[in-house]
Amino acid sequence: SILSFNSICLVGIDMRISRLHRGGEMSATLKPYLNAVRSSLTAALCVENFESQVVERHNKPEVEVRSSGELLLTPVIVSRNEKEKVLIEGSVNSIRVSIAIKQADEIEKILCKKFMRFMMMRAEHFFILRRKPIQDYDISFLITNFHTEQMYKHKLVDFVIQFMEEIDKEISEMKISLNARARIVAEEFLKNF
Amino acid sequence: MILLEFRNKIIEELLIQRFKSAAGGKPEGVDITVADFDGVLFHVSNPDGDKNRIRISISLKFYNDLQQHGADGYLQSVYGDLMIGDVESSYDISLEVSLENLPSNPDELAKKIALLKRNCFASVFEKYFDVQSKGGEKSTAIVHYREQETMYVSAQKDRVTVIFSTIFTDDDDVIIGKVFMQEFKEGRRGSQTAPQVLFSHAEPPQELEGTDALTGANVGYITFVLFPRHFKDPATREKTINLIHTFRDYLHYHIKCSKAYLHSRMRARTTALLKVLNRARPEVKVTEKKTISGRTFRK
Repeated sequence: SILSFNSICLVGIDMRISRLHRGGEMSATLKPYLNAVRSSLTAALCVENFESQVVERHNKPEVEVRSSGELLLTPVIVSRNEKEKVLIEGSVNSIRVSIAIKQADEIEKILCKKFMRFMMMRAEHFFILRRKPIQDYDISFLITNFHTEQMYKHKLVDFVIQFMEEIDKEISEMKISLNARARIVAEEFLKNF
Repeated sequence: MILLEFRNKIIEELLIQRFKSAAGGKPEGVDITVADFDGVLFHVSNPDGDKNRIRISISLKFYNDLQQHGADGYLQSVYGDLMIGDVESSYDISLEVSLENLPSNPDELAKKIALLKRNCFASVFEKYFDVQSKGGEKSTAIVHYREQETMYVSAQKDRVTVIFSTIFTDDDDVIIGKVFMQEFKEGRRGSQTAPQVLFSHAEPPQELEGTDALTGANVGYITFVLFPRHFKDPATREKTINLIHTFRDYLHYHIKCSKAYLHSRMRARTTALLKVLNRARPEVKVTEKKTISGRTFRK
């Protein structure tokens, strides 16, 4: 069955309350954001096999081809704030999930860029990863009915959510380690004078 | 190993080993070319095939710049008799050691020779330190120690300024370099005796205005302000020169190390994520089944 959604859903209410304490802000808004993404993904992952209507004996992911309007669902954006959001585009036999990752300053930008490039080069190992992200986003997944036939749906959703959490953690850890390394390097050099 | 070694380890170990074998009575032949930072080449060989003499030659692309500031004189004062006038072709300086009259402490001699590159640089610094301690001012010394990268040394009444210009080949390197330089700038909090370090990106600092210094997004300028206490006492002076002359290599070495570390982190994280994804596949159970006619097959 094909479902339809509203166009944009802002998970804003809970977040405005927790903006009161800066320290807790991150983890307090993270949970509702990830829950919203999880439920949207679970709903969108109702895909079934669908042969191409346009070319005989071909089977293409309709969300990529986008040739027939009746096969596509309205896209949904779940956003935590302007910079962090997830775009979910559905269709009859495939969905495309694009993630925009938080990049507060220059160093986070290059770390994110390097990391995403690293993963996208290994897209064939990841099966569901797309080699190029959608415009305005940092990384994209393409999940087709073939993937859902071979893998558990709820585990696929778990994977995407865990992916989002781990990326953020990894980028901030890399930034901290880079700053720590810089401090040690400078200290070692200057203490000898 | 956080700090770079300022003496050439290969030369040192090679010479110690050769001195030892000569002391044992069996000198071995040697013909080795060694590369060092900044495009510097060393050549260790036996002149005219004589195994009892070892010649060590160094070639620096920018030796002319150093010569203008008294490099020859300084090296003469350090190495004295070891220097030979007959320099090997395509090299700038040659030292010769006779294995028959080795000093009582051959390791010390090997260490001294391994400092050859450092001593070439040291001449410029020594000259400017002396000028400053006499209270004088001196115009800028320009040493093009690498292609497109230059070192400027100048002395004022109360300080000596050393400015390095460096090129970052990769755009990401610029940002990582900025993180490092930020820490260097704030280094004075940690240690009171540290010199003042300034960093300027893309634009040369004020002191270099009017010269043909490079500009561009990938260019950085690092300024060290050295005060008399950094070079008044000879031991401190030596330490200062040791550290400053390899600064550019130190910075780039650590930038590369950080990139390698980030890469290994990314790889570890990617394998971890891959494991999570593979949990999504159901386990394939191999079972034996039987058909009505009695044939067995595995599923």
